[in-house]
Amino acid sequence: MKNIYVLAEHRKGLIRDTTWEAIAAGRKLSSELGAELTCILLSANATMAETLSTEAQRVMVVNDPIFETMNSEAVIKTLKEILKPSGSYVLLMGASNAILDFAPGLSVALDAALATDCFSVEVKNGKLFASRQMYSYKINSLVSFKDSERVVLTIRAGSFPFTSSNVAKGAVENVACPIDLTSLKKRFVKYVEAEKGDVDIASADIIISVGRGIGDEPDLDMFQSLADTMGGVLACSRPIVDKNLLPKFHQVGTSGVEVKPKVYLALGISGAFQHLGGIKGSPLLVAVNKDPRAPIFRVATYGIVGDLNEVVPVLDEKIKALKG
Amino acid sequence: MNIIVCMKWTPDTSEADLTVSTTAKDIKKDDLDYDMNDWDRFAIEEAAQIKEKIGGKVTVISLAPEESEDMLRECLARGADEAFQIWSDQMEDGDGFTTASVLSEFIKGRPHDLILTGTLAEDDGAGQLGGMLAAMLDIPSATLVSRIEVNDQKVSFVRELEGGLYESMEMDLPCLIAVATGLNEPRFVSIRAVRKVASIEIPNLGIDDIGIDAGKVGRSGSRVEIEQVSLPPEGEGAEIIKGKAEEAAARLAEILKEKGAIG
Ligand SMILES: Cc1cc2nc3c(=O)[nH]c(=O)nc-3n(C[C@@H](O)[C@H](O)[C@H](O)COP(=O)(O)OP(=O)(O)OC[C@H]3O[C@@H](n4cnc5c(N)ncnc54)[C@H](O)[C@@H]3O)c2cc1C
Ligand SMILES: Cc1cc2nc3c(=O)[nH]c(=O)nc-3n(C[C@H](O)[C@H](O)[C@H](O)COP(=O)(O)OP(=O)(O)OC[C@H]3O[C@@H](n4cnc5c(N)ncnc54)[C@H](O)[C@@H]3O)c2cc1C
Repeated sequence: MKNIYVLAEHRKGLIRDTTWEAIAAGRKLSSELGAELTCILLSANATMAETLSTEAQRVMVVNDPIFETMNSEAVIKTLKEILKPSGSYVLLMGASNAILDFAPGLSVALDAALATDCFSVEVKNGKLFASRQMYSYKINSLVSFKDSERVVLTIRAGSFPFTSSNVAKGAVENVACPIDLTSLKKRFVKYVEAEKGDVDIASADIIISVGRGIGDEPDLDMFQSLADTMGGVLACSRPIVDKNLLPKFHQVGTSGVEVKPKVYLALGISGAFQHLGGIKGSPLLVAVNKDPRAPIFRVATYGIVGDLNEVVPVLDEKIKALKG
Repeated sequence: MNIIVCMKWTPDTSEADLTVSTTAKDIKKDDLDYDMNDWDRFAIEEAAQIKEKIGGKVTVISLAPEESEDMLRECLARGADEAFQIWSDQMEDGDGFTTASVLSEFIKGRPHDLILTGTLAEDDGAGQLGGMLAAMLDIPSATLVSRIEVNDQKVSFVRELEGGLYESMEMDLPCLIAVATGLNEPRFVSIRAVRKVASIEIPNLGIDDIGIDAGKVGRSGSRVEIEQVSLPPEGEGAEIIKGKAEEAAARLAEILKEKGAIG
């Protein structure tokens, strides 16, 4: 593999953090393979190109007004053209929701192999390996790529910590937009913000969070009571919102609300990384789960292996007693 | 409106104790319960609702072995008009690319205005099939879609970004949409409703019926090879509070108090 490419992700005129993490992963591969790292920016924004050039040897910029957002159709068509002459390469990008929209289609257009959501990448004896997770995030899977000259990898957030490299500033190369992007079949209309609710879990210090383990017809009063006793707020994982048990503004996670509590009680939550991704800082994290192998126990401070329907009422009662 | 829904038959691993198989290429699956992928439940529901609103025909397909017939029958009870099961032994151990190749070969030969998939399969969780399939069919696509409105020759939709931000977009038909969980409320299907569709035949198609080369499916056609699966290292992990539920809860209450965690 002669080239390492990193596609920069941007939104509303700013480079997103996923880009720096993809660059960190790209640097690892670039040193293991002795290959040059090129960052690709699809945007008309010169400031972003400048910023990237402080961290990459080479920045390729395609400047077209369509790239105000990362419309998948425009991204795929453009990359297919500009990467045509490149022969063999690894293309890296963050595993974000915007990138999830085009990485698989792009891999087909580039005739490349794809591994999504990788948390580790390495080259051994010239062969590329990536690690990802399967089966409710309970199993790690090491994958390789069959006779593939071209590989597309998306990188899980938080897996490759980025540090500024202080390398010599890279060259910014403007590439003319290779194709006509005026009549796309897919069109961006506008951004929409989720409605704000009457509870603000983002600023709460104590969060009692419930997940699918509470069952289909849960006694939510039981959890609200515990939250009241502890002086906290009730939050939840995504399936609870999907089932309309609580409104969206209670959802903790990458597609919900980011929280930064001092105490986080995870009740019947398995600990998927999209959920944990919404918990910032390092709270005292307590998990109650009946599965001793649940991934949540790997990150929790304290855990109880048991049925939350038995644990929660007693916990509520005991805390009430302790508060006197 | 011809709607095709792709359904994956997946093992439920969320509460199961998983062990790695002797080849270390997969987990032991004999004792796992299989069901429709949770995300796909929302896809078939959306298809049924669109059909109820504007008319049309809903076809469900799954690349899965025979045991998945119950899932396909349940889809018929949920509102699908026809179902196809696609499987040949050669399809074993394929990847997202080979799965998409087979499905696209099948879809190419029939009318399709809207293709619906889930965004992610709960087992492999690659989130790749929809985008690959659309690229092979040369139609536009979108993933993580949480609202769909079909009007005339286009679809208006909303897709999820991070942190409570969404993007509202539109696409021309034909197109593919990979849905997000929560975009509708999947209906309850009674055993009676499933019985009512018991006589509908669910054809099983193999590689010859699909007309795809054996080299393009299963292990021989895949681009990604699983070298090894393993249980993640235990790491430090939580301090587990032992004892019966009652004792453990009492001890936890004390710990929370000691840590000043009771507001
Ligand atoms: C024994 C075994 C070995 C395997 N070996 C490999 C391997 O070597 N390399 C590798 O990459 N993968 C391997 N896989 C996984 C692979 O076969 C997946 O099924 C494939 O990658 C597609 O599913 P996904 O999880 O990627 O789907 P995703 O892209 O996550 O699924 C998204 C959506 O696509 C649709 N969909 C997915 N699969 C199907 C289907 N079969 N039929 C109809 N619709 C579907 C559903 O609507 C689903 O919601 C193996 C699986 C098994 C069981
Ligand atoms: C793009 C994308 C964005 C996402 N965004 C988010 C997000 O913002 N937030 C989010 O939460 N998820 C998000 N998800 C979904 C995420 O991947 C997981 O599917 C979800 O977090 C799982 O929720 P859960 O832990 O409640 O359910 P499960 O994973 O089903 O876990 C339920 C747990 O409850 C336990 N349990 C069951 N019964 C009991 C009992 N009686 N007592 C004790 N324990 C019990 C089980 O052992 C299991 O561990 C996103 C996914 C994608 C693909």
